[in-house]
Amino acid sequence: MSQPINFLRTIQLIAVLLASLSVSAFAQVVTHTIPGHDLKAEAEFLKGEASKPAVLILHGFLTTNQFHTVKSMANAMQESGYATLSPTLTLNINLRKQSVKCNSIHTHTLQDDINEIQAWIAWLKQKGYQEIVLVGHSSGSQELLAYLEQQQDPAIKLAIFTSLFYLNGPELGTQPLDIAYAAQAIKDNKLTPHKYSFLFCKKDYYATPESFLSYQKLDRSYILKQLSNLTIPSYTLMGSADKRYQDVGLNWLDELKNTSTHLILVEGANHFFSSEYEFDLQEQLIKILGQHF
Amino acid sequence: MKTKYTLKLTQPSHFYFVSFLTIGTLLLSLMIWSFYKEGQALQASVLQQTQKEAQQELFKALNHTLDTTYEQLQTLADWDEVHQQMHNPSYYFFWHDERLKESTYFQPYYQEIELYNSKGSLLAPASPQSDLDSLLPEHIDTLPKVSLKFSRNHLPYVVVFHPIYQRDNQELLGYIGLALDIKQALFKQNQFFYLDKNSLMFEPASSLSTESVIDHIQFKAVENPVNAYLWELIQKFILELIVTLALVAGMVMLLLNKLMRSPLITLSNYLHNLKANPNSEQRPPAETFWLKELEEFKETLFEFHHNLQQTQTQLDQQNLIVWEQARRDPLTNIYNRRAFDEAWNEVIQNYHKHPIPTAFMLFDCDFFKALNDTYGHEIGDEVIRISAKVIQQALPLESPAYRIGGDEFAVIIQHRNKKEILETAEKCLAALSDYPFQSIGIKEKITFSIGISSLATQKEDFLTNLPRQADIAMYKAKQSHTSKIQTYNLMLETEASALVSNKVINRVVASAHTGKHIQLHFQPIVALNNPTFYYEALLRIEGEEGLIQPYEIFKVIERRRLEVEIDQQVILAAFEVLKSGQLPEHSGLSINLSGKTLLQPNLVSLFEPFVPLLQRYKVVIEITENVLIDHIEYAQKVLNKLRHQGFKIALDDFGSGYSSIRYLASMPVDIIKFDMSMSRALGSDSKTQQIIMATAEMIIQAGFDLVMEGIEDSHMLEQARLAGATHIQGYLLGKPSPQFISPPALQLP
Repeated sequence: MSQPINFLRTIQLIAVLLASLSVSAFAQVVTHTIPGHDLKAEAEFLKGEASKPAVLILHGFLTTNQFHTVKSMANAMQESGYATLSPTLTLNINLRKQSVKCNSIHTHTLQDDINEIQAWIAWLKQKGYQEIVLVGHSSGSQELLAYLEQQQDPAIKLAIFTSLFYLNGPELGTQPLDIAYAAQAIKDNKLTPHKYSFLFCKKDYYATPESFLSYQKLDRSYILKQLSNLTIPSYTLMGSADKRYQDVGLNWLDELKNTSTHLILVEGANHFFSSEYEFDLQEQLIKILGQHF
Repeated sequence: MKTKYTLKLTQPSHFYFVSFLTIGTLLLSLMIWSFYKEGQALQASVLQQTQKEAQQELFKALNHTLDTTYEQLQTLADWDEVHQQMHNPSYYFFWHDERLKESTYFQPYYQEIELYNSKGSLLAPASPQSDLDSLLPEHIDTLPKVSLKFSRNHLPYVVVFHPIYQRDNQELLGYIGLALDIKQALFKQNQFFYLDKNSLMFEPASSLSTESVIDHIQFKAVENPVNAYLWELIQKFILELIVTLALVAGMVMLLLNKLMRSPLITLSNYLHNLKANPNSEQRPPAETFWLKELEEFKETLFEFHHNLQQTQTQLDQQNLIVWEQARRDPLTNIYNRRAFDEAWNEVIQNYHKHPIPTAFMLFDCDFFKALNDTYGHEIGDEVIRISAKVIQQALPLESPAYRIGGDEFAVIIQHRNKKEILETAEKCLAALSDYPFQSIGIKEKITFSIGISSLATQKEDFLTNLPRQADIAMYKAKQSHTSKIQTYNLMLETEASALVSNKVINRVVASAHTGKHIQLHFQPIVALNNPTFYYEALLRIEGEEGLIQPYEIFKVIERRRLEVEIDQQVILAAFEVLKSGQLPEHSGLSINLSGKTLLQPNLVSLFEPFVPLLQRYKVVIEITENVLIDHIEYAQKVLNKLRHQGFKIALDDFGSGYSSIRYLASMPVDIIKFDMSMSRALGSDSKTQQIIMATAEMIIQAGFDLVMEGIEDSHMLEQARLAGATHIQGYLLGKPSPQFISPPALQLP
C-alpha cells in the first residue's frame, strides 16, 4: 500500500516543483520601510486571487523568507489562489538577506519583530487585502502570538502555527545566570553585546542584554496562555518526529491540545516538514484555508 | 737591420715532442674552455628561463590573489552584517574585533579590515584595544588604489579598498579597507614551483594599479635542483674529461717516447758511434724496440755496417795487392821505379826533420845489351831476374832493391857508416860474381858495376844529388875492369870532364838548368816523293868563345847526368820557334829525346803545348834504338799516346848499334832514320849494299817512312832513291843552321 502512496507523492513533488518554478517567475520582492526604525525590510510577495485572503508567512529563528518550509507553504497557498507575503525580519539589518549567525551581533528585540509584523500587515492592508491569515513557522509562530497579544486587527481572520514551541525554559538550555547577567547589565547601563546561551546558540549568542532579554518572555506558559487567549481561530500543525520533543517533552502536544487551538499532528514530520512531509503540510494548510475561505 | 728568423725543419725529436705537447694542450684547453663556456651559457639560459617562469608565476599569483581579495571584499560588501554596521555602527568594535574575526569572511591573512562611511571616515575611531599603528588610514578621500605598506614589524601588506553600495538603490554606502598580509595570502592561495618564496622583497608604494604591483616586488627564482645538478654533472664531466685527456695524453707521450723517440735517439747514438768508429765492429744497442720495423732497422743497420766492414777489409786487402802490384816489378818481383820514387821522396822529406846517414847505391850489368842481342831477350830477362834476387839476398833486410831501369838497380841504405856500406856493396858484388850464370847458358863472364854516394862523405851536398853522384860513380866503375865498386867523390866529376874546359862545363850546366845560351840549329829533311821538307832541331850552346861543339856538350851532359834538364830546355826552345811562326808553313820540326827523358813520367805533358800546332806543322820526336829496346813496354805505352795525339816518332841512328830487326815490327814508331854509316855503306861492297837495300825495302814494306842521313852528294842521293828512302838528310840539302834555309829542289821521280 505504501508504494503507490510514495509514487503519487513523488509525482506530486515534481508537479509542485514545476509549479513553483512558474510561480517564482511571478514572485515579487518588495521592500518596506519600518516606521520609526530607519530600516528597510524585504519581503517576497506572491499575488493571489482578489477574492481570497492574503497570507502573511513568518520565518523561524534567525532565518529568512528563503527558508524552504516558508517557501513551500507560500507556494502551496499561492497555487491555491492565495496571495502570500513572506517578510524577512530585519533583525536590525537593513534589507537583510541572509540568516543571522549565533555570534552575529544581535541588537534586535521581540518588540522590533512585532513592529515589523505590524508594518507588513499594514502594507498588506494598504495593498487592499481586507482578510489576512497569519502563518508562522517555529519561532515565527511565537512572534505572531506575541504580535496577536498586542494587536487585535480585525483584518486578521485566521492564524496557523507550525512547529510551535517556546524560547525560554531550563529544558531548552536557558541559563538563569545569563538572564541575571543581562538584567544586571541593563541595570548598569552596560549595553554592549555579550555571549549568551540561547536555544541552539550555546554560549555564543552574541547579543545586547536588551535584545537577549526581550525574547525570554516567550516561555512555555506564555505560549500556552496566548494560544488560549486568541480571539481568532487558530490551528497548530506539529510534526510527530520533531526532535524538540526530546527537550520539551511529548506532553507539549497535550498541553497544546488543551488550548483553544486546533492541533493537527502530521505523523512522521520533523520540525521543518522536510521532504515529502512538505506535501502533508501544504495539504493541511490548503485544507484549513479551504475550510475558512 | 732586420733579422730574419727562419725555423729549420730539421729539429731534435724533443722539439717536436714539446711542440706536439704544447699544441695538443692548447687545443684541449681551448676545447674544454669552450665546453665550460657552453655549460655556463646553458646554466645561464636555464636560470633566465626559470627567472622568467618565476616572474610569470608571481604575476599570475599576484593577479589571482588580488582578484580573490576583491571577490572576498565584494562578498564582504554583500554581507548583511556589514550592512548592519553601516547602518548602525554602535557595536562596531564588538563586531570588528570579535564577530568579524570569527566569521568565515575573515581570512587568516587579513591583517586589518575597516569599514568607512560614504564620506571616507572610519565607521568608528581606532579600536581602543589596538595599540598597533594602523595600516589603514582613518580617512580616505576617494576610493584609493592599491598600495604597499610595511607594518611596524616590517611585514609587507597590500592595502586595498572596495566600495559598499546600498542594496536597493546602489548608492555609495561606504568602503571596506583591507590590509592584506600579501606574503601569507600569496602562499596560501597559490602554489609556487619556480619562485623562491624566501626571496620576496617588497618596496613601499602607493596608488598602484593591480598590474603594477609586481614592479615593486623583488624576487628570485628558486634554485633549480636539476639545473644545479646538471651544472654539477657538467663540471664533473669536464673534470673527468681533463683527467682522462691528461692521462691519455700522458700515455700517448709515453707510448710515443717508448715507440719512437727513445729508439730514434738510441739509433742516432748508434749511428754516431758507427761514424766515430768506422773500422771497429759496434754491437747494436741491447735495448729491444717495441716497433718491429725499428727492431728490423736496427738489425739491418748492424748487418749493413758489418757487411760494409767486410767489404772494406776486402777492398783494403785488394788495395794492398794493387799497391804492391803497382810497386812490384813483374819480372823480378822486387820494387819498381815507382816504389823507388816514393821511397826516395820519403827519405828526402824525413831527412829534413831527422837527418840521418843516407847512402845511395846503383847496380848496373856491364854489356847487358850485347847479352840481350847475343842470347835473346828471354835470357836477358833471366839475367835481370837472377841479378835482382842475388842483390836482394845480399842486402840487409831493411834495404830493399829497386829496379829503376832495364838492368839498373838502386838501393837506399840508412844508419850505416861508409865502411858498412862498402862491405854491403862488396857482399853484393861477390854474390853476383859467384852466381853460376852458365846454368842459364851464358858462357861469358858477367860483370856488374856499383856506384855509391852518401851524405856521410859529402855533408855539404844536397841529398837530392845522391842519385846523380852514384850514377857518376857507377860510370867510373864501368870504365874500370878491376874496381867495380866506386864511391863518389868530387874528383870523379873533374876526372870525367878532364877534356872539357871548366868554362864549357859551367856554360853547359848553366844552360841545362836555365835555358840560357841555348841555340837551335836546323837541318832540313827533304821528302823524295813529294816537294815537302822539315827540319831536325839540333842543340847548340853559345860559349864565351863561340859555339860549343856538340860532342863537348854531350860529354858534359852525359857525365853530369843532365839529359832530362837539357831535353826540357830544347823542347821549350822548339816550342818557341814553332809558336813564333818562323818556320815555313807545312814544314815541321824533329826533336831529339834522350832515354832518360823518355822515362820521365811527365813526358806527355811536356809535349802538350805542341798539340794545337800540329795542324800546321809536323812534329817528330826522335828516340835512339837503345832506349826503345831497353824499355820497350813502357815506351810503347807513352809513344803510342803521343802518336795518337798526332806526333810522329822517329827511330834515330838505326844501324849505329845492334839494329835488331826483329824488334822493328813492335816498335812504336813512324819513321826509321838510317845512320850516316848505313847511308855510306850503300856505296860499299855489293853484299853490304844488298843487305841495306833489303833492310830498307823491308822497312818501307812495313809502312815506315825511311830517312837516310849523311847524304852528301848526288851519287848518294841516287843510291838513297834506289834503296827506297822516303826522305833524305845531309850536307847535300843543307848543313845545320840557326836559320831556316830552304833546301834545294830535288827532281821528283
